[in-house]
Amino acid sequence: MISWMDHLTIAPIVIPLLAGTLMILIGERRRGLNAALGLTSAIALLILAAMLLWMADSADNTAVRTYRLGNWPSLFAIVLVLDRLSALMLLLTSVLGVAALVFSLARWHRVGAHFHPLFQFQLMGLNGAFLTGDLFNLFVFFEVMLAASYGLALHGSGALRVRAGLHYIIINLTASLLFLIGVSVIYGIAGTLNMADLAERIPALAAEDRALVETGAAILGVALLIKTAMWPLGFWLPTTYAAASAPAAAILSILSKVGIYAVLRLWLLLFGDAAGASAGVGGFWLLIGGLLTIAFGSVALLATQNTARLAGATVLVSSGTLLAAIGAGQVAVTGGALFYLVSSVLAIASFFLLIELIERGRDLGADVLAVTREAFGEGDDEDLDEGEEVGVAIPATTAILGMSFMGCALVLSGLPPLSGFLAKFAILAPLFGQSVSSLSATTWALLAALVVSGMATIIAMTRAGIDAFWVSSDGTVPRVRLTEIGPVVGLLALGVALAVKPAPVLQYMQATAQSLHAPQDYVRGVLPGRELPPPTAGGAR
Amino acid sequence: MEAIVALAIGVLTGSGIWLLLRPRTFQVIMGLSLLSYAVNLFIFSTGGLRTGAAPIIERGAAGSLAQYADPTPQALVLTAIVISFATTALFLVVLLAARGLTGTDHVDGRERDR
Amino acid sequence: MQDGSLILVVALPFVGAIIAGLLPTYARDAAAWLAGAVTLISLAVLWTAYPTVSAGGVLRHEMEWMPALGLNFVLRMDGFAWLFAELVMGIGVLIVLYARYYMSPEDPVPRFFAFLLAFMGSMIGIVLSGNLVQLAFFWELTSLFSFLLIGYWYHTAAARDGARMALTITAAGGLSLFAGVLVLGHIVGSYDLDAVLAAGDRIRTHSLYLPALILILLGALTKSAQFPFHFWLPHAMAAPTPVSAYLHSATLVKAGVFLLARLWPVLAETDVWFWIVGTAGVATLLLGAYIAIFQHDLKGLLAYSTISHLGLTTLLLGLNSKLALVAAVFHIINHATFKASLFMAAGIIDHEAGTRDIRRLSGLYRFMPFTAVLATVAAAAMAGVPLLNGFLSKEMFFAETLWAPTPHPLIYDLMPIAAVIASAFSVTYALRFIHGVFFGPVLDLPRTPHEPAVWMRFPVVILVVTCIVVGVLPAATVGPFLDTAVRSILGATTPEYSLTVWHGFNKPLLMSVIALTGGIALYLALQRYLRKGIEGAPLIRSLEGRRIFERTMVFLSWRLARFLERLLGTRRLQPQLRLVLCMAALAAACTLYLRGLGPGNLAPAAVDPVLALVWTVGAACALGAAWQAKFHRLAALILLGGAGLVACVTFVWFSAPDLALTQLLVEIVTTVLLLLGLRWLPKRFVVSGAPGPEAITMTRRLIDLSIAVIGGVGMAGLAFAVMTRTPPDLLGQQFLERAYTEGGGTNVVNVILVDFRGFDTLGEITVLGVVALTVYALLRRFRPAQDSIDIPEQQREQEAYDVAHPDRQEGDTVADWLLVPSLIARLLLPVIGLVALFLLLRGHDLPGGGFAAGLTIAIALLLQYMIGGTRWIEGRLQVQPLRWIGLGLLIATTTGLGAWLFSYPFLTSYFAYAELPVVGQVPTASALLFDIGVFALVVGATALILIALAHQSVRGHRAVPTTADAVTRPKSEAEP
Repeated sequence: MISWMDHLTIAPIVIPLLAGTLMILIGERRRGLNAALGLTSAIALLILAAMLLWMADSADNTAVRTYRLGNWPSLFAIVLVLDRLSALMLLLTSVLGVAALVFSLARWHRVGAHFHPLFQFQLMGLNGAFLTGDLFNLFVFFEVMLAASYGLALHGSGALRVRAGLHYIIINLTASLLFLIGVSVIYGIAGTLNMADLAERIPALAAEDRALVETGAAILGVALLIKTAMWPLGFWLPTTYAAASAPAAAILSILSKVGIYAVLRLWLLLFGDAAGASAGVGGFWLLIGGLLTIAFGSVALLATQNTARLAGATVLVSSGTLLAAIGAGQVAVTGGALFYLVSSVLAIASFFLLIELIERGRDLGADVLAVTREAFGEGDDEDLDEGEEVGVAIPATTAILGMSFMGCALVLSGLPPLSGFLAKFAILAPLFGQSVSSLSATTWALLAALVVSGMATIIAMTRAGIDAFWVSSDGTVPRVRLTEIGPVVGLLALGVALAVKPAPVLQYMQATAQSLHAPQDYVRGVLPGRELPPPTAGGAR
Repeated sequence: MEAIVALAIGVLTGSGIWLLLRPRTFQVIMGLSLLSYAVNLFIFSTGGLRTGAAPIIERGAAGSLAQYADPTPQALVLTAIVISFATTALFLVVLLAARGLTGTDHVDGRERDR
Repeated sequence: MQDGSLILVVALPFVGAIIAGLLPTYARDAAAWLAGAVTLISLAVLWTAYPTVSAGGVLRHEMEWMPALGLNFVLRMDGFAWLFAELVMGIGVLIVLYARYYMSPEDPVPRFFAFLLAFMGSMIGIVLSGNLVQLAFFWELTSLFSFLLIGYWYHTAAARDGARMALTITAAGGLSLFAGVLVLGHIVGSYDLDAVLAAGDRIRTHSLYLPALILILLGALTKSAQFPFHFWLPHAMAAPTPVSAYLHSATLVKAGVFLLARLWPVLAETDVWFWIVGTAGVATLLLGAYIAIFQHDLKGLLAYSTISHLGLTTLLLGLNSKLALVAAVFHIINHATFKASLFMAAGIIDHEAGTRDIRRLSGLYRFMPFTAVLATVAAAAMAGVPLLNGFLSKEMFFAETLWAPTPHPLIYDLMPIAAVIASAFSVTYALRFIHGVFFGPVLDLPRTPHEPAVWMRFPVVILVVTCIVVGVLPAATVGPFLDTAVRSILGATTPEYSLTVWHGFNKPLLMSVIALTGGIALYLALQRYLRKGIEGAPLIRSLEGRRIFERTMVFLSWRLARFLERLLGTRRLQPQLRLVLCMAALAAACTLYLRGLGPGNLAPAAVDPVLALVWTVGAACALGAAWQAKFHRLAALILLGGAGLVACVTFVWFSAPDLALTQLLVEIVTTVLLLLGLRWLPKRFVVSGAPGPEAITMTRRLIDLSIAVIGGVGMAGLAFAVMTRTPPDLLGQQFLERAYTEGGGTNVVNVILVDFRGFDTLGEITVLGVVALTVYALLRRFRPAQDSIDIPEQQREQEAYDVAHPDRQEGDTVADWLLVPSLIARLLLPVIGLVALFLLLRGHDLPGGGFAAGLTIAIALLLQYMIGGTRWIEGRLQVQPLRWIGLGLLIATTTGLGAWLFSYPFLTSYFAYAELPVVGQVPTASALLFDIGVFALVVGATALILIALAHQSVRGHRAVPTTADAVTRPKSEAEP
């Protein structure tokens, strides 16, 4: 017998599932009802996630909340596990969910069929992926998530989206196949799908078996890294994200972080310090891959004239930064990385929403001129009397858009005063904090990567911003609804909050990193006692 | 026995990969189908191959791996089959839509300019 | 003054900025008053701190920020910080007053003042930072707001470019400063300024001293526009004059030298410091002064002179002598006063005469004598004429160049010469400013100039008076403040120095005389050349910093980036897939290679020839499909089916009937789907005698082939390796043990699906449902390609035949053709239905289950569609796939939720509670219910997808414009 409180753990999956189901039954016609239902569910999820986060944090470190589906012993049941990390991701997802949904109500949810149920199932898939403690169930929820994301990425149809969606789908199907191969190899050798159980079994494996498990893990890893868009597996990302409709892209911006989540979870659980001979396998490659991704992301940032692709490139940079930071394999750095994750996801999401509003007020292909104009040295000979030396009054809408753009630029490039600066500092400070006289190559590499990518972001964003707000300021003010600018500003406001009061957040992140790097508590939480109740003849379980 | 199944998986995978790398969407969907066969077989085989083992346990008895095949991979395969069926269907529709909108069946939505 | 009120000083400007930003665009005076009030209050508050700091005290206020990482928000004010803060605020007040009158009435100034205040706040933040990371924080803020201020008139290209250049360079410098601070923090073990200042020796002797120094200097030198980063400053002149007056006299560029002075005690007094800082300083000093002479724009002239004076300050700091530091601090103050006043004067001239071009200005003395006097005095101070403040610091500078210790004798000789030349130049450009503008004949100007408003001139008066007073009575006026500042930096080691106008006849005085006379001579000599009015300075005209910068930026941030993106990335699918597969193979191979693989613990069973035979067929099918998929799609499809069947056989063979059944059904549905799809694909024929593929294509294929082979072999090997070993205890054991006793079913697989791992199944059907929704959404927008719109040939013939014969109507032929099959199919419908029901019900104990049943029904439906045709069937029975999907999901979910009522976890099956009155004695009730949900959803989803596709052929015709009834859409069109 369990109390109602315990059901809260699964609620983040059940609520959107029910909401989506009802929407299907209600039918496409009654969109208002759908919207109301969707909004209710999204807000409920937000509140719920906040509660869960509070629970996960207030509970003393040893306690992870588990939920055994079908009430089977957790050794072979599918188990949902709520620890700090999953709670954090749930909250982040629900925040984005509300923001994107509110934004979509202005017009996007009318553009194509079934936006609302797809959106709900998207949330369900994400939440499930963050909660499950079972390897195969993780696959299933990845698929739910992806299936919904296909729908959302294609939402609104059109040649551009369909072409991008085609690539997105093919690559992710391939990734899913790899995922399956990896999982089944691990099962075939280790004999279980329960992550915690795996963590206990892997160290005990014989050498020649371990080789196979690690192979499986490697293949699984490739599947996950495809989703995080690590170089050279992530070329699909900017295209897909740029093509997707604004709210879809905002949600997609956390999809790429699900891969990061899985890497964090699985890598540190299965191949953490406790994994005996397998400890820390592949960490080095995460670091290298991360650095390469940052490099390519920066290049992609500079090489595009299209604001949406620019946003896609920032996703690459943030994924790379996270991978590299995780690959560094230090508790405090991981904590910083989590801080960075939150800060960058919020900014990217609001950037994707913002772009559409900016583009709305501009003539097509205006941004294509931007760089070429610069290339030919715009205004090479400065004429003193050029232009009236009287400022131009900026309409309120444009002002807000401009400030939001600046906000995104600041967070993404890691400039003060928003959270981006502190996030980068949080990643770097621990590396410099060690009391050894010399600094490791890792430290220098990460420092260089972050500085260079920051600079690239500044240059690219300035270019885009100047072009969007200063050059082509022909006084045409885009028509923007409050429900559209609201989410953008709201997400950025969170960035400000992070910058003003980072201490508690960072503390939470550090605690999270602690428990991730020392997963004994997780394992103990999921598998209280290894010995099972003997099979009973039909009696009550 | 294992060798045959292994070879079978190999052949399916090989031809699947070859098709996956082709430029035409139809070839790609074929390739993905072949690959999913291969993967299904692969998952199935990880439980170990048992010939002539009863798939159904007797009523009232508690089965054991001694006399029955490992059911878990089978369950996983069933789930995998369904999901790959769904995604294949979706992919088919998307490729048709792409063909309709772009006018070509090339995976990049445009013929490669030579 | 309370330590806490430091917050006020920093926060007030930002608050003011926000308020100003919210003011309406026309609220000119309100904004000005606001800004003025803010600055005055801060100024007053700072004054109250003077007693403390002059007594050598340090105000300090600390707030938690990121304590875990040693980053706290620390405000710290000692004498030096105090002096600087006063400078920032003092000049700030005057600037605000000046700007109020300078900016045009139509200008939306609230925005301007908002930026100005925010910038002021960031500047104060730098000055009062007690933590180096926090200093870097405000450092970047100044870059940001200076960007906004310079770009204030963003409708002019000059402003945009100037702003972008300033931001790019100073922000880059800021990043490098940030890095340097991190290294410094690593050396010291803390970012706290006090801790750092206390660790001088540790820093200078540390192995990381050099990298830290270089990184920090990059920050400082870019900010204070030192060679070779000097070129951004002149272009920042596109800003409104008040901004230039502020940024380039007291604030932005001074931040660099402030940092140098701040960290002087811990970083300086090493040779490398001398070489880097000193060289940069002297180069900037000479270059700036030289270029300034040849500027025609007043602000340009002042800009380069600013560069040169910053160079002077930097050089002083680089000399590694404490006296030089004193001189530097002193010169910072002096320069701020006379340069601010000069900029304002230039602004007034521009404002009144309508141009700043020296070539067009002349004889303004007649129109604005008062301004002329002010400007002259200020310029004289800049030139270092005695009895003005500029003279004093210049004397000290000369003295230092003569007597400061240098690491190399050659330097010892060259330094004074450089100093004299530079200050001669400064005399020249000062002369040019004054003589060129105010004297000479009167030329016609855009406007007839006259004296400006008194309050616009007032700030200049204040500043000029300061220049004179300080110049005459240094010790009495600036003395104590300077002393406070210097002592707070050098502490006990502060050297003796005397602030007097007259030091007697000595070398420095001689140097001054030479400089003055030389400067005048040079100006006279250059008269003719300057009158030509050629742009840019001779000799170095070609290397214009901006041009070089723009070109490099375009190359690095555009051309190179483009090239690299094309090199390192791709937007085409095939290369991406190749990469993915290769990476996977590589990852697997590496791991295996590193770990090494032993033999398995299971002996492979004997090979059964029958299965071998079956699989030779299967392999043939697979390869055939791969071979034929391009030109013979149908054949390939059939071969694919063959491979699928063989897979089914294999499942049966290895005693997995459930798999076989499902695989078979899925096989059928998939094939039909693909068949429906074929119609929309482009026709492709093997052109006989066509030229074979080129070499490039062949190589590509070769690569793909090898990837395929490697992949195949790899999978085979992996499969074999996994098959030949089994772990000690498998999960399966548990399931087998409990399937009947606790799951209540003998078909273990099904029990797993609906009970043990029912959650997977729930997710799985959700996927199916979601896909169905997407398909629906996509196909509703489906437009066939132009070349596949018209009806297939066969149909066309049939219908032509029908039309030709008056006794038949369209579609008869097809109907006749399929008469028998359709009859059978219709008869079969109920039978298949029964089979499905049977599969569903027995699922828990025997092969079958909801999914199989669902597919069966779907197939039955499909059969009807194929035989009867879309119209016919939908005339008779309306399937509502979405309903089915929704209901299915609902049933499955609620079944899971039901367990909550008995306060058991989600999806707990009721089987074990047979005694419960609610449920009754039905075994596995809930599991069955769940399975029904699955069934319903599968029916719905599959039907939806199939029907949606089938409908396209109906719509396809409609896409042809010629058909008249295009508008009248039958009911069947409601669903795509």
